[in-house]
Order: sequence, then C-alpha cells, then structure tokens
Amino acid sequence: MVEDNPHDAELTIRALKKANLANQLIHLRDGAEALDFLYGKGLYADRNIGNRPKVILLDIKMPKVDGIEVLRQLKLHEDTRTIPVVIMTSSKEEQDIITSYDLGVNSYVVKPVDFEGFAKAVSELGFYWLITNQAIY
Amino acid sequence: MATAFNRMTGQIYMMWHDLEQKVQDRTWQLERANKELDAFSYSVSHDLRTPLRAINGYAIMLKEDYGPQFDAEANRIINNIVTNATRMGQLIDDLLGFARLGKKDLVLTHVDMQDLAHAVVNELLQNEDNKDYDIQITGLPVAEADAGMVRQVLVNLVSNAIKYSSKKERPVIQIGGEDHDDYTVYFVKDNGAGFDMAYADKLFGVFQRLHSQEEFEGTGVGLALVKRIIDKHHGTIRAEGHEGKGAAFYFHLPKKYKYERQQSGDLIGRG
Repeated sequence: MVEDNPHDAELTIRALKKANLANQLIHLRDGAEALDFLYGKGLYADRNIGNRPKVILLDIKMPKVDGIEVLRQLKLHEDTRTIPVVIMTSSKEEQDIITSYDLGVNSYVVKPVDFEGFAKAVSELGFYWLITNQAIY
Repeated sequence: MATAFNRMTGQIYMMWHDLEQKVQDRTWQLERANKELDAFSYSVSHDLRTPLRAINGYAIMLKEDYGPQFDAEANRIINNIVTNATRMGQLIDDLLGFARLGKKDLVLTHVDMQDLAHAVVNELLQNEDNKDYDIQITGLPVAEADAGMVRQVLVNLVSNAIKYSSKKERPVIQIGGEDHDDYTVYFVKDNGAGFDMAYADKLFGVFQRLHSQEEFEGTGVGLALVKRIIDKHHGTIRAEGHEGKGAAFYFHLPKKYKYERQQSGDLIGRG
C-alpha cells in the first residue's frame, strides 16, 4: 500500500485486518519510497526485488512523486508492469481516471467517505486481488 | 485628403490592434480563471473528502472498540458525528456533480423516454423496502436530449416523488408526457407532501430546501441540477404543488435543436 495520509492508511489497515488480509501488508508513505521499494534502491537497496507484491494499492495525491507518476514508471518498466496496480483515491476527477487507464491501471477505486462503505470496498478489493485473482509470481 | 485618409487608416489600425490585444488579455484571464476553478474543484473533491473519511472512520472505530463501555448518550453522540460526516460527503459529491455539469457538452440523440422512465423507476424502487407504490407511466414521447443528462433529470424527479410520497398510506406517482410540433413536454406527479406555491421560486436553487432534514432528508442539490440540465437543453421547467396533497413537475424540451446546433458545431463533443 502506498499512502501518505496516516489516517487513511490506518483505516485501510484496519479494514484489511478485519478481513484477515493484512499479514503481509507493507505500507509505503509516498511515491518516492514506493519506487525505491519496488526497484530496490535507497533504503531498500538490500531488498530482494524478485519478491513481487501480489497487488499494489496506490493513492494518487502524494508529496514528491504522485501516484500517477508511480503508475507510469511501473507500467513502463519490464520487471514491474505485470504487477496488478489498484488506484485508491478520493478523486473522482475524470482526468485522473482517464490517465490511469491510459497508463494501464488494473482497477480504479474511489474511496467512499463513509467508513462502512470504505471498509467494504477495501476488503472486497483485498479478497479479489489476493485470493480470487491469479497473479504472475 | 490623402493625409486625412492615411491618418484615419492609421487610427483604425491602432484601434484594431488595441482591440486584439484586449481580446488576448481577456482570453488569457478567462483561461487562467478556468484553470483555477479546475484546481479548486479538484481540491474540493480530494482534500475535503479525506479528512471527512477520517472523522467518520475514527468515530466508527470508537463505537466498535469502546461502544459497549459507553452509555446510550455517548453512543448517540457518536452516531450523530457519523451521520453528519456522511451527509457532508454527500453534499460535496452533489455540489461537484453540479459544478461539473457546467463544463459538460451536450450529446443530443433521440431518447426513448418511456423506456427510460421504466428503467429509472425499477432501479429506484429496488432501494425501497417493499412499500406499495402505485406508479403509472404513460405516453412519454421520444426526446431530443443528452441521454445521460435526461436520465439524471428523471432519476432526480422520480426519487423526489418517491421520497415525498413515502409517508402516504397509498403513494401514487404519475409519469407522462405529450408530443407537440416544436417541443415535447414531460411530467412527474406525486400525491406526497407537496409544497407551498409561495416558495416555488426557491425550489430550484442550490441548497434550498422546503422541508427539514427530520421530515425528509436531502442535500438541496437535486432540483438545482435538474434545472441546470433543462437550461442546457434550452428547455423550461416549472413546478406546481399543494401542501400535503402533492407536487407536479413539468419540463419541456425543444425539438430540431440537434440539427440546428450540430451545424454550428458548438455543442457536440464528448459526453
């Protein structure tokens, strides 16, 4: 999960925990950290990048490198473009939705304001991408 | 003579140049204002919703984790926080929808309003707990309209009719229309709470409501949106009501509009 807002992160983690889906969750706090993590740079220079995430939950509006830019790089790069990416954002902006699909996003989810709706969306999404969907290992 | 002529040509050129410069300046100012508005609505949709979700989420966490230890009053207070945060989320969504409509281009086609009315009613009644609504749909002529927008008009009018007649013993909703040479007219009538005609002009204003939140919930954006859509179609809408007896909304949409406007090319674009 790439999410800069600690409160949104906490809510997402709580919803995933409730659905028993949080045991292998890694929380990255902005786009730059996400790219370091995925390509084994900076703080994550020692990480085995062959260990691919099953899905990336990506916020759009983040400091430094935003979600759209992270998505662009992921989908350009041969090693990462087959990792499913789900944009999770507050933005219903048509432009963000179009750009994301243009760049090859696998799913685009607008976070509901009400927590029950949010928790439901997060757990459904978790179930689908972690259990139902078959990813490339 | 020649000098005078030259002087005049020079003056005209200067004036033309001046005007051109003014047009450029204005265009630039308008473009900038538009960009600022875009940034503003983006920020509203993203930045206002995020803290709201946190308020809502933490209030629910409090209830889930500590609810059993709290007394009834504390639980009531938490519930009110949740209700209000959710309502504000709804308001933001509705307002943004309203603001975005201004930028949308009309894509006019022939819309089967009879079909559309049936579809809308079926969809809306799914959310109602098996209350016995008497819904009559007859004689809606085909409209020349933007399919998505006119659907929104019917959704808003019919959901209002359902909402405001929901407290009646036997709610009756009539949806119909009439074909004319130059226009088509449609109506949605109910036998619900109605309204006082003295306040009819307030019905279509943004955030204007004629009922309290306790009586009937709502954000006060629905009819403003309807009016804006009808205006975009160069149509008109009016309402008739009697307190306690029901309300009726009539709107008309011009015909042949599509072909005239298509030629000038200013209204056809992405939906």
